[in-house]
Amino acid sequence: MNIAMVTWEYPPRIVGGIAPHCEGLAKALSDLGHEVYVFTLDFPGAADYEETQGIRVYRIRSEVGHPNFLTWVLLFNHFIEKRLADVSQGVDFDILHVHDWLTAPSSIAIKHSLQKPLLFTAHSTENGRSGLHIPDSFTIDGIEWWATYEANKIIVTSSSMKDEVCGHFRTSDKKVEVIPNAIDWSKYQRAIDRWAVRAHYGVQPHENLVLCIGRLVPQKGIEYLLKAVPIVARSGQDAKLIIAGDGWYRDHLEWVANSTGQRWRITFTGFISEPDLIALTKSADVLVVPSVYEPFGIVALEGMAAEVPIVASQVGGLKEFVEHDRTGVLVHPRNPESIAWGIKHVLSNPGHARWLTQNAKEAVQKTYAWDTIAKRTSKVYENVITEAVKK
Amino acid sequence: MSSTHLPPVPEEFQVLSMMHNIGAIIPERALTPDELAKWTGIEVVHVKDCLQRLRELGYVKYIEVSGVEKYLVTKIGIMKVLTLYS
Repeated sequence: MNIAMVTWEYPPRIVGGIAPHCEGLAKALSDLGHEVYVFTLDFPGAADYEETQGIRVYRIRSEVGHPNFLTWVLLFNHFIEKRLADVSQGVDFDILHVHDWLTAPSSIAIKHSLQKPLLFTAHSTENGRSGLHIPDSFTIDGIEWWATYEANKIIVTSSSMKDEVCGHFRTSDKKVEVIPNAIDWSKYQRAIDRWAVRAHYGVQPHENLVLCIGRLVPQKGIEYLLKAVPIVARSGQDAKLIIAGDGWYRDHLEWVANSTGQRWRITFTGFISEPDLIALTKSADVLVVPSVYEPFGIVALEGMAAEVPIVASQVGGLKEFVEHDRTGVLVHPRNPESIAWGIKHVLSNPGHARWLTQNAKEAVQKTYAWDTIAKRTSKVYENVITEAVKK
Repeated sequence: MSSTHLPPVPEEFQVLSMMHNIGAIIPERALTPDELAKWTGIEVVHVKDCLQRLRELGYVKYIEVSGVEKYLVTKIGIMKVLTLYS
């Protein structure tokens, strides 16, 4: 099968979970024998075209730009569409698979010009991410609706996301397929010097390392974790909080950190490389995912693979794959007291924490491997193509 | 989630975002502070302050092209901008 995957994020252009998702899926589909063509945006230092592990990656440069974000999006979609049209002269694509709204306009145009079925993976919605409060948000929401309308099938990564898409866009539930995210286990198997990593981040041998990884944006709920720091400290737990990631909300979060009276316990690392991030994850005593909106929450899955106890908000996809007090600890979102309770629960019971990580590892290994997810996705492709031929 | 009470996006971040959207991510498309002021509608003196802070944070890079001061967004600057939209 010839698959055209269209995404604005693909390594090394990594922002959130979409880039690793697309890379993992593309590799696994290629391993199944499919021909995968990825169309994405350029990134300084990355090749305009490359073939890696059987995947052809086209990185497209927008030849003109514009300070207005939505105009910029339409412009880069135009250049993606041009490249897709060029490549389609020599490749008979069987299916188009677009990830999120940002590259939906070009994918929809190509769907109609090539008369090929379109799959849309909705990783999140504008309504869920930030609410519909400014004109740009309504436009993005409209494009998301358009993608759900045009797609032959919609893939979401959790049941809560399916409810959100069906409820918000009035989409038939028959059109939406839940296929969870997955991770590459091999990345978490390498040995690391745990104590050296902890020392590098200023964590003393007697201190616990509480880790949080994510884009520094409001939906990640990091301010509630910061407010939990003094509560944990008052309980007598000696812990340092390391926040790995960056984002437009960082200044505000640093202000919240300063107001805790425990600033010396908190470190913002900014963006760090994937190998360093894996080493840091494997060195942590607990990984906290305090999100207030999380369609899936792949960072928790990565923590499970790294055998770190998870404390996660009871929201979205997290509450579907983290089983409370069996594979992790679920806490109330937007609630520093509850988050602090979760952290203390893990740190004060090392034996229980080890049991949680073992359960989590088994659960995740069974369900969230890329080969399993690629087979399920491939089956959806086949069904969509068969249905399209019937019409 | 509602964003009614969110703090505004900092001014230097707006400048960074616009630089990215205009395409100032490669040396050939780097921009001068005057050009940025025209694009963004922010006074040159403020643009220069923003660029200084963005340089300190590693989000923009200064280059000299034929003796002219120009700026472009770095890789981590691009990633920072994309957090606004992803």
